[in-house]
Amino acid sequence: MDNKITIGIPRSLLYYKYNTLWLTFFNELGIDTLVSPETNYEILENGKKNTVSEACLSLKIFIGHVNYLKDKVDYILVPRIVSLENEMKLCTNFSALYDIVKNTFKVNVISYNVDVDKGISEQDAFIKMGQELGFGKELILNAYKVSKKEEYKQRKINYLLQRKKLNRERTKVLLVSHGYNSNDNLVGKIITDNLKKYDVEVIYADIINPDNREKLYKNISKRLYWTYNQELLNSIEEYKDYVDGIVYLSTLPCGPDSLVNEMCIRKVNKKNITIYMDELSSTEMIQTRLESFIDIIKKDDIYE
Amino acid sequence: MKNKAYLGIDIGSISTKAVIIDDNNNILTSEYIYTNADPINAVKTLISKLKNKFDYNSYKIVSIGTTGSARKLIGKMLGATIIKNEITAHAIGTINMHPDVKTILEIGGQDSKIILIDNKVISDYAMNTLCAAGTGAFLTSQAKRLNINIDDFGLIALRSKRPIKIAARCTVFAESDLIHKAQIGYKKEDIAYGLCKSIVNNYLNNVAKGKKILTPIVFQGGVSKNIGVIKAFEEELKQEIIVDDIGHLMGAYGIAIMSKKYEDDLKFSFNINEFKFETKVSECNKCTNNCEIVNIYKNKILVDRWGNRCENGLK
Amino acid sequence: MNRKVISFPTLSDYNTPIKFILEKLTDYEVRPSKQITKDTLELGSKHSPEYACLPFKYTLGNYIESLEDGAGIILQAGGGCRFGYYYELQQQILTDLGYEFEFYSLTDNDVNGIRSIYNTFKKLNPHIKKIKYLYYLLLTFLMIYFMDKIDIYIRKNIGFEIHKGSFDRIKNSMLTKFSKTKGFIDLIKNYLYYKKRFINIPLDKPKNCIKIGIVGELYTSMQPHSTYFLERELANMNVEITRFTNVTFLLITKRFKEKYYLRKIKKYCKYTLGSDAMENIARAKILIDKGYDGIIHIKPFGCTPEIGGMKILENLCNDENMPLMFLTFDTNTSELGIKTRLEAFYDMLNMRRNNEK
Repeated sequence: MDNKITIGIPRSLLYYKYNTLWLTFFNELGIDTLVSPETNYEILENGKKNTVSEACLSLKIFIGHVNYLKDKVDYILVPRIVSLENEMKLCTNFSALYDIVKNTFKVNVISYNVDVDKGISEQDAFIKMGQELGFGKELILNAYKVSKKEEYKQRKINYLLQRKKLNRERTKVLLVSHGYNSNDNLVGKIITDNLKKYDVEVIYADIINPDNREKLYKNISKRLYWTYNQELLNSIEEYKDYVDGIVYLSTLPCGPDSLVNEMCIRKVNKKNITIYMDELSSTEMIQTRLESFIDIIKKDDIYE
Repeated sequence: MKNKAYLGIDIGSISTKAVIIDDNNNILTSEYIYTNADPINAVKTLISKLKNKFDYNSYKIVSIGTTGSARKLIGKMLGATIIKNEITAHAIGTINMHPDVKTILEIGGQDSKIILIDNKVISDYAMNTLCAAGTGAFLTSQAKRLNINIDDFGLIALRSKRPIKIAARCTVFAESDLIHKAQIGYKKEDIAYGLCKSIVNNYLNNVAKGKKILTPIVFQGGVSKNIGVIKAFEEELKQEIIVDDIGHLMGAYGIAIMSKKYEDDLKFSFNINEFKFETKVSECNKCTNNCEIVNIYKNKILVDRWGNRCENGLK
Repeated sequence: MNRKVISFPTLSDYNTPIKFILEKLTDYEVRPSKQITKDTLELGSKHSPEYACLPFKYTLGNYIESLEDGAGIILQAGGGCRFGYYYELQQQILTDLGYEFEFYSLTDNDVNGIRSIYNTFKKLNPHIKKIKYLYYLLLTFLMIYFMDKIDIYIRKNIGFEIHKGSFDRIKNSMLTKFSKTKGFIDLIKNYLYYKKRFINIPLDKPKNCIKIGIVGELYTSMQPHSTYFLERELANMNVEITRFTNVTFLLITKRFKEKYYLRKIKKYCKYTLGSDAMENIARAKILIDKGYDGIIHIKPFGCTPEIGGMKILENLCNDENMPLMFLTFDTNTSELGIKTRLEAFYDMLNMRRNNEK
């Protein structure tokens, strides 16, 4: 190929799930990528400006990242994922993401469409995307397989590193939140930085064991059909006995979290706190709430 | 023969306004008082004040229009010839005052709205949907918290050199953020102007989102009296903002103009204080809807009732 | 003999067919939940998570009122989006409140409409014969289909009846007749009879009346209480109304219309957006093509799929110069505020009309 293209990747939403897969895949195909920087206030402001005011904070941040990339790259990667397993779903924002971006900016979007419930697997979707970029099926399939392996390796490493933390003699808190929230600079980082300041170990519920086939989530909720929430519930079941408390973090307004977190609070017997993040939630207020929560869970240590 | 005059009253949550106009839409007299959560007495006071100013030897009131959140109650009480929502009334009033207006920004006590005008016709409008952040009531309560007289708020805000950032999407969040910032020891004027900016941002991000704001822009409603907010709008929109002295009367003025089409042989009396008005809310219980019925009594005689969703409620 | 009471959340006129089929296929006493009042929503909100969507709060309020009223069995609808998850959480909340009851979901996550409804009935009444089930299911479907057809006519014309209350009176009489349906021939005969009566209602309808289309989320579309009787308010202003979402659409036509809808708005949407969000944008396009004066989009606060479609709907309406109003309903939405907006919207459409002349 003579005209080398660059694909922009917004550091938001699914990036935190698929960064290894995406970056390896495009790298294998010899395509340059540009990942937007950590969320900053400018990105957030531009996200707010370009979304309807009722949209959830996470979507606003995503749109802010697309805005950052739009004049810097040839294509922006915006996948559409409806379902990853039979009879399972993701939040509808992931179904709508592609069309929302297309209706917000005049940009070239490269996309792949996964809907396992309707028989479209991730692999099929990647092949189609690769073909749109002008590559042959074999080459794409090979790149996809290499990336999948790399993705697995990365996930396993992350998981094992997290397991190690469980045995440390420190106060530990499980952060139950989607990866795109817990890792975002203006959302989860505000929480985790504060927790670390108080010498609290943070266990991330979005770091999961890629080999886990057990449906632990059923102990909390039998009929749960949102994949990402299932993963978080699996983690709660796996980690709850190692930690001193749980922080439920969501952005407003989050459809699945609004119901599922309530279920967890009712079924999981563990000291917990729920934090909602809105456009510009005051960090001072969050700090105060976290501080008192830490006091509560540390106190338990003293008396038990 | 007396000349015709038309009375318009706008009963809002915070203030009640009245305007009397002549055949050529000239304002003969006007009045403005606080509602104090009691629209009936506010209107009584308003009308007795008008009585002292109005030249009833030369003019006769031939129609009455009411608008604003208590428009129905007061309309029924006064026997208004037209009862209309404040959005339309504001637009009609403003179009008469500024025939070339393209955008009306309005921030009132509980509501804020944007009205777009195309060729003297409302082409689009929007109102705040959920919370009261960024409305007059919010500003008043925060001024109180900062121990600033609301009338001086704008002047104090103008002194600010480094306005602070205030989280203002939601009243609750904004309030706690504000308390915190005041505790840390920020300057009063910087907090005040920060608030003005947050009101403007909230307005532009929520109410006016997706709307094309074209000039001339007219800014109205109680908050338009605050020069801090005007400055914040001008900074943000980079356009001149028109605020006229009678901006707060625009709803009353508009409804007075609209009432001209509904002229009637009115038995309107300025001696309204002689009557005793009462409203009682009752539950209907005649069907499973359990509608709340509002009953108005004039000197203990039922004059009107509404709130029913089916015919049963009126029996 | 004290029969067990089965209850379900009230859903306007659909109470009639739901009650009908439950009475035919089970031995329970069927008692729909009480009509919604302010108390219902207050009760529901009190026990719901703060950010649950509005239908969750309404239906939870319905259940509590029914359980207090002696119901031992509750049947809920289920469905897509968040609706599918209501069942489990509401059961947990009600159990935590100390209620003892049986709880069934009609469509069980919407896997396969007809089969899962059958499975639910099988649980409610193990002795049920498949043929009897199919017979009454079809009969009820037909009843709903007829009701929806009549409703389309009513919405277009109720704002113009000469004698106030004519439509309501005949409709109530029709629903009473329908509730005593003896079989297919009886139902069809009644339908034709009432159809004629509706058509004969004297109207004073100008040819060029204002026409408003309503699109949006399904519960707020079908539960008039949740929107403070928005359609009725509009009708009182002499407006012809079209609304698409009804039970016929949700149970039957939705799956066949997807491709057609997507084609309609291919300039704006490549994919479906979740729930009925894409469909609602396509419906707006249909309304635009039909020369409607304005579109009102309704949804409960925080409705993710509909929020996802807002920007796209806005683009479509801007391109087509079509007045569009968004209304969001929440526990603290003020009825007066809604009325004010509707009135102003109507005034605006009227002014635009007069300006064109």
